[in-house]
Amino acid sequence: MAATLCTKLLRNQGWAPLIQSVRHGSKAVTRHRKPLHIIKQKLLAVTQYIPPPRVVPPGAYPAENKCVQEDAGLSLILKKDLKKVFEESKMVAVVQKNGSNAEDMMILKHRLCKHGIKVKFFPNQVTRSFLSDSVYCNMAPLFIGPTVLFVSKEPKVKEMLSALRASPQMTLLGACIDNTLLSAQGVVSYSKLPSVTVVQGELVSGLTMLTSRTASMLQHHPARLSALLRQYVKQQSPDDGAEAAPKAEAAT
Amino acid sequence: MAAPGKATVLLKAVKKITVQFCPFESNVRSTREFLALVGSEKARSTNMNCEVMPVVKHDKSEPVVDVTYVDGERLVMKGAKLTCSEMLGAFQSRCKDKDQQAKAGAKK
Repeated sequence: MAATLCTKLLRNQGWAPLIQSVRHGSKAVTRHRKPLHIIKQKLLAVTQYIPPPRVVPPGAYPAENKCVQEDAGLSLILKKDLKKVFEESKMVAVVQKNGSNAEDMMILKHRLCKHGIKVKFFPNQVTRSFLSDSVYCNMAPLFIGPTVLFVSKEPKVKEMLSALRASPQMTLLGACIDNTLLSAQGVVSYSKLPSVTVVQGELVSGLTMLTSRTASMLQHHPARLSALLRQYVKQQSPDDGAEAAPKAEAAT
Repeated sequence: MAAPGKATVLLKAVKKITVQFCPFESNVRSTREFLALVGSEKARSTNMNCEVMPVVKHDKSEPVVDVTYVDGERLVMKGAKLTCSEMLGAFQSRCKDKDQQAKAGAKK
C-alpha cells in the first residue's frame, strides 16, 4: 500500500521512486522448470561434469566376433587351380595390362599359345591369400590392379618378351622361373643366357685346359721338353741372381 | 581402392607420359592405378599420338610420373605419398587449362 501511494505521488514530480519492490514479476521458486537465462545455460553446458570412462576388467564381457570368414566355394576352386598352376609350370610371369581390347588380347593369346604359354586370370584377392600361405609370399606385392598371369611348363622367355614388345599396353612386372623370383631386368638377362649345355661345355673346357696343356707338352719330343725346362730355369735364375747380388753387396 | 570418379581423362595436350616404379615396393599402388587409368582405351583414344611408357625398375626407387606437354611443360609427380585421385586431379586440371588455352588460341 505504501509502495503504490508513493509511486502515484512521485510520478508527477519526476523523481525516482523511493521504494523499489523486489518481489515482482515471476517468482524464483516455481512448480515447473523455470527456463534459464541463455548465458547461464551456456555456462552450465560448458562446465558440465564428464565422468571418466569406466575400464571394463578383461574377461568381464565375451570377446567380439572375430570375423573368420571361410572362403566361399568359388575362391576355394580358384585356389586349387592356382596351386596346380604353380606346381605344373616352371615359369609364372606377372604382367599388368592397361586397357587392351579383346582383339589385342586374342592376338597376344594366339601368339603365346604357339609356344605353349597360357594366359591365366585370377582375382587379386584370391591370389594374395593363396600366396601368403604358400612359399611364394614375396610375389604378393606384385598383384595390384589389373594383372594377368603367363604360365608355361618350359621357361620360354625370349618368345614371351618378343610378344610383349609387340603390345605396348602390357607391362612385365616380374616372374618366378624355376622357383626363383626375378624382376623385369632379371627376366631380360635370363633370356640372354646361353643354354645349359653350352654353359656346361664351357665350364668343362676351362677346367680341363690346364691338364690338357700339361699332357700335350709331356707328349712332345724329350729334346723340346728339356729345352723348355732350360728356358724356364734361365728365367728363374736372373730373378735369383738379382736377389743374390744385393745380398752379397750387403754382406760385403 | 575404387577408381576415382567417372571423369574421362583428356590427353589432348599431352605429348608423353612416363610412369616409372618398382613393383616390389609397397608404396606403388597409387602409381599403378594412375597408370591403369591413363593407359586405358578411353584415355588413349582422346589422343593417339600420346605415348604412355611404363618403366619397371628394381632399385627401391620412388615411383615417379613424368608428364611432358605439347608446349614443352613438364609435370613431375612423386607418387610415394600421393593417392591416385590426388594425382589424377592435379593432372586433369592442368590438362583442362592447357586445352582451354589451345582452344582460345585456335579461335583467335
